[in-house]
Amino acid sequence: MEEKLRIGVFVCNCGTNIGGFLDVPEVAEYSKTLPGVVYVKENLFTCSESGVNEIKEGIKNNNLNRVVVAACTPLTHEPTFRAACEEAGLNPYLFEFVNIREQCSWVHKNEREEATQKAKDLVRMGVARASKLEPKDRITAGVIPSALVIGGGISGLSAALSLANRGFKVKLIEKEKKLGGLVKSLYKIYPENINAEEYINQKINEVKKNKNINVFTSTEIKNVGGYIGNYKVKAENDKGNELNFDIGVIIVATGAKTLSPEGLFSYDGKKVIDMLQLEDKLKNDGISQYKNFVMILCAGSRNNERVYCSRICCMSAIKNALLIKEKNPESKIFILYRDLQAYGTTNEETLRRAKINGIRFVNYSLNKLPEVEDNTVRVYNEILGKELLIPADLIILATPLVAPEDNENLSKKLKVTLDENGFYLEAHIKLRPLDFSTNGIYVCGTAHWPASTEESTTQALGAAARSSIHLEKKYVMVEPIVSSVYYEDECRGCGLCASLCPSNAIEMVETPKGVKAKVIEVACRGCGICGASCYRHAIRMNHFSDEQIKAQIRAFLEE
Amino acid sequence: MCSGRIDPSLIMEAFVNGADGVFCGGCLLGECRYISGNYQAQGKILLTQLALKRAGISPERLTIKFMSSAEAQKFVKYVSEFMDKIIELGRIGKAENLSENELKLKLEAVRNALEGKKLRWVVGKRTEFMESGNLYNEIFTAHEIERMFKEVVMDEVDLQEILLRLKNKPSSVKELSEKMRLPSHRILREIANLKKMGLVELEDVSGSSPLWKTVDE
Repeated sequence: MEEKLRIGVFVCNCGTNIGGFLDVPEVAEYSKTLPGVVYVKENLFTCSESGVNEIKEGIKNNNLNRVVVAACTPLTHEPTFRAACEEAGLNPYLFEFVNIREQCSWVHKNEREEATQKAKDLVRMGVARASKLEPKDRITAGVIPSALVIGGGISGLSAALSLANRGFKVKLIEKEKKLGGLVKSLYKIYPENINAEEYINQKINEVKKNKNINVFTSTEIKNVGGYIGNYKVKAENDKGNELNFDIGVIIVATGAKTLSPEGLFSYDGKKVIDMLQLEDKLKNDGISQYKNFVMILCAGSRNNERVYCSRICCMSAIKNALLIKEKNPESKIFILYRDLQAYGTTNEETLRRAKINGIRFVNYSLNKLPEVEDNTVRVYNEILGKELLIPADLIILATPLVAPEDNENLSKKLKVTLDENGFYLEAHIKLRPLDFSTNGIYVCGTAHWPASTEESTTQALGAAARSSIHLEKKYVMVEPIVSSVYYEDECRGCGLCASLCPSNAIEMVETPKGVKAKVIEVACRGCGICGASCYRHAIRMNHFSDEQIKAQIRAFLEE
Repeated sequence: MCSGRIDPSLIMEAFVNGADGVFCGGCLLGECRYISGNYQAQGKILLTQLALKRAGISPERLTIKFMSSAEAQKFVKYVSEFMDKIIELGRIGKAENLSENELKLKLEAVRNALEGKKLRWVVGKRTEFMESGNLYNEIFTAHEIERMFKEVVMDEVDLQEILLRLKNKPSSVKELSEKMRLPSHRILREIANLKKMGLVELEDVSGSSPLWKTVDE
């Protein structure tokens, strides 16, 4: 038999935040008339210790089996009130939060009567939903305390070291024969002016010496199955050996590559070279025979074909210009730019130093691209408004970092997303900048977008920290706000839900009744796309079921 | 939860219970926390609008707008515009020139159609059709999707309306055609389909016209 509803409603004044703009006693009085409500209490601050105690006592003294708090946003105090319910012996998922502050009093400060009416509507809806709530248990699953880092450049090495030094086992997979990535081809890293090769070799040695890290070079990912805490990864090395790993979390640090300069500004690899070739010349003292240098920034970027800014090329150019000056103070260097990215304190300082050292900056526009001629570059200076002929012995093209073609392939295996430029896309640019939308997978470095060595390292440490939360805890706990194939007999195993799931949380499994969809609860993030899309209504959304939402809708429309 | 959770059935719950308008809000396209949820919502709203329209109810009573949580002004603007629109349209049914009973029947028909397997399947497959193509690898443009939606919606909404009408009162094709303001050959085709599916049966013959009724479940 269904238990009789005994709903308690707590209406918060939030000092004057709510009470000052709408009639809280009237809302409380109104709440008493709602179906199932047996207890109503007005609080000055429901979130205060006394307010929380009033909830607990209200539950105990009145045998409440549902609690509705009309106060602020779930973002701030849902955990507080859920905990209060739990402590009083009520399942925390029998709690409903009604927001009468952000969604009412704060936005209707000059309409007291209407705000009061709206608060009543909101409470009525909350009570209606609370009537349909069901007790739920939090979902937990174990985490294999081992991480997979894909990519052995500066980001991958830094992430691997950070995790290994915290005591976790790391598998580091690199598709090339050698570790090191792009940094290996650089001469110096600014602003510290450190030797790139020494720096990266030191990192590589640390990784190789670390007992917690297993390095697999010339190895590529073949297949990724499973979910957060329990990934099954298959890889293959160049000898054709298959490797199998059981992994808790994955960090994607696959990096980027520079755009091939072929076909740009009469590139020939001799007189017109790209930035990496310049780095190589600087390393091997190969610039002494040149006097007049011209660098062309945004070569092949910020155009119709590639709209984004690669961010780091401006500083690479300025850095290398200064290094040329250092080696050869007599040299004349022109940097042809469209807009300069010298963000932050150190970069701006470097730019100032470049100007003091006589490096010339010439502004050009996309409409009038510089033209490379024999021993000169013809450029229309946007600021002077006239054409310049600049003598040039060596012309350096700063081409952008672009996403490797392989991203397409790997992103499909990991079931994570790429942006329109082929770089890996994080779950949320501000809220979850290093996470993928799929739980348990993280991104760092130039796999994400063009980034400097410093930024890549920072991101790598961040991704390692983020992923170590799960490794440290050894379990993942998720809200039971997940979908479930509740009406399994209705499921025809069509796979529509699995194909639409953005979290890769639905698998199709063989059952005695045929193929059925099955929700991997720890991977599900409760968005509800599957439930809203199942053509046979087989899927139910826990805690936000159709019945619960419809009860709210009907309550709103009641007159 | 995400705007991708919006099930046309929830929207219809609101209209059936007397809402004059339904406003859906989602994150900016391309910035969905759940990657594709707002695109899914977009498809479902479009389908629901087309179904409302087919039933003679102004599709402007339903809208979806995309904004970020930091765009309060946009939200206010969109909601105000929508409110103005709904006030201009007036109470649901009135602007549509439908009696209370007719409105109820039409909304029920739309709800049944949208909760039915066919429309749910079509809107569910939209992403696949637009991204990787159908069985023959034909990729659908947004325009083609809308055209397909329109065709399927037309059939499904009409079919559900006929079923509801015949449940209330056995009728001839001619009577249905007058009530629904649709050509009789269209009604006849739908009746033939419904009969094939075993959903309607012959009740009686009045004069020379057969009277049809919905088969009881």
